[in-house]
Amino acid sequence: MDERTMIYLGTTSLIAILLLLSPAQFGGLAAVVALLVILAIMVILVLNYADFVLFPVFTQILGIKTVPVKNYYIPKTSNSIVKYINGIYYATGYLTANIYKYVFTAENVDENEEIKMSEGPEKWERIVMNAGFPFRYNVLSSAEDVQRYREELEGRRGTLEFQLSKEMSSSAPNELTIQDLQRKMNVVDARIDRLSGGERPIDSVMYIETTAVGVSEKEAADALTNQLNHLQTLFSSFDLSITRVVGRELYHLFTYNYTVPDRDLLGETFSLER
Amino acid sequence: MVSQRFLFTILLLIDVVLLLAIYLLPPAALLKFVLALLVLGVDVLAFSTKLYMSFFVPFLRMKGHVATMNSEEPFMMAPSGNAIVVRRGASVFASAFVSVPTYKSATEMNAEEKADFARLFSRAITIAKYPVRFATQLSVINKDAYISNIRSKLDEAEERYQSASMNAQGSKADSERIKGEVTMWHNLYDNVNKVGSQMLEAFAMVTAEGGNEEEATSLALQRADELASGMSSVFGVTASILEGDDILRFVEPDHMIPPITVGEQLREKNVATEL
Repeated sequence: MDERTMIYLGTTSLIAILLLLSPAQFGGLAAVVALLVILAIMVILVLNYADFVLFPVFTQILGIKTVPVKNYYIPKTSNSIVKYINGIYYATGYLTANIYKYVFTAENVDENEEIKMSEGPEKWERIVMNAGFPFRYNVLSSAEDVQRYREELEGRRGTLEFQLSKEMSSSAPNELTIQDLQRKMNVVDARIDRLSGGERPIDSVMYIETTAVGVSEKEAADALTNQLNHLQTLFSSFDLSITRVVGRELYHLFTYNYTVPDRDLLGETFSLER
Repeated sequence: MVSQRFLFTILLLIDVVLLLAIYLLPPAALLKFVLALLVLGVDVLAFSTKLYMSFFVPFLRMKGHVATMNSEEPFMMAPSGNAIVVRRGASVFASAFVSVPTYKSATEMNAEEKADFARLFSRAITIAKYPVRFATQLSVINKDAYISNIRSKLDEAEERYQSASMNAQGSKADSERIKGEVTMWHNLYDNVNKVGSQMLEAFAMVTAEGGNEEEATSLALQRADELASGMSSVFGVTASILEGDDILRFVEPDHMIPPITVGEQLREKNVATEL
């Protein structure tokens, strides 16, 4: 969980809990207030962890069609963006597909990493050859402040060193804890080395976009679902967790076709892979 | 436009005021219960600004189940034709696109070359200081002009055949020759629609904000130039800034999938289904 989410969750939950400090204030309704507080916290948690479920339910129940820009609309199912032009419906949908492990070398924690990296291009070509319909693989990358990241890593290394020396000097050192701390230190060291080698730390969001056509909205939507399912099968060779993007995130990804968001906005909208 | 953090802070302040009212007001259980309901409502609303800030106003102004977030065109092409411009309130954003032609296939590489290629890719992604969207797109080759040309040739031949058949004094050999021509164009027209030709292209997109269109465009082009140089040196190819229709292929679905090319395929598919 990122810092911002923690602040938002913390402050809003705290305010709800503050209502319960003096239940006597509400007389006979104290139990109802307590129940509502629990409900409010639950709603906040659901919003935070599963807004992709709530948003489509909300638009579907109220039958809301969203128009993100002229000539496009998001149907009430909130799972695609449709454009109708020249008598053809173009339905566009998105999938999350984080191929981070195939793009960036990690810190040699995985012995098969080299093999995995070299398999990437061939797997990708196989997907392209078997797709048979238009799609786009997007990697949104945003560079971090090198100095700040370096200081953060050095701070983390210091903490790990302290924990390691404390564990080693204890009366009964735990071998497993020591190994774990040493592994974490190796990871941090490797990251510092890569920074020294001139690599820039980046945050990234990776996703797939595909468009299907049809002579009616339903035909285009059905074709889109088939295409997304087919892409899920094809990308399964990468051993990824792939999910269809719906609701709020769909709108944001659509806007990225026209403007690349700045770092802050990107961080506010999506969880970034670092 | 109100920023998300500002609205969140305001809603939290309202919550704090309501909480104080609950604790400081003289005992009145029902009034305090109503205030508690308000606190919780505003609290959930404050949290939801984190996710739904852009949806608040359009949903409040919704007309007939249609929430309009923006009623303008998604973008305008810059007068120079090498960037797209988006206006959002007082801000102007321009985006430029860099084409990255990669010719080598993984099947031609050995294991080491494949790993090197993956490393090059990760290096390319870390080139820029600002956010960049890297993408690889498989799109339908635009055969619209070719199909229209064959269609008009076919129509023309059919017309000539009809005139020749109706002309009692015309020679039979001529009529047969034109009939052959009609068959030829017909076969060509049917065949061109049967195969969906596709192409794979890689590109990178950068955006810059400016006080006006010119400033944003020139800043975006400057970034695109830097990115093109970086990509050229990493991959050893000539990366270039895209212009006009080449940009549209990456932003508009009807350019990614050309209407006539696909329309004909849809027509054929529907005919096949009906049969």
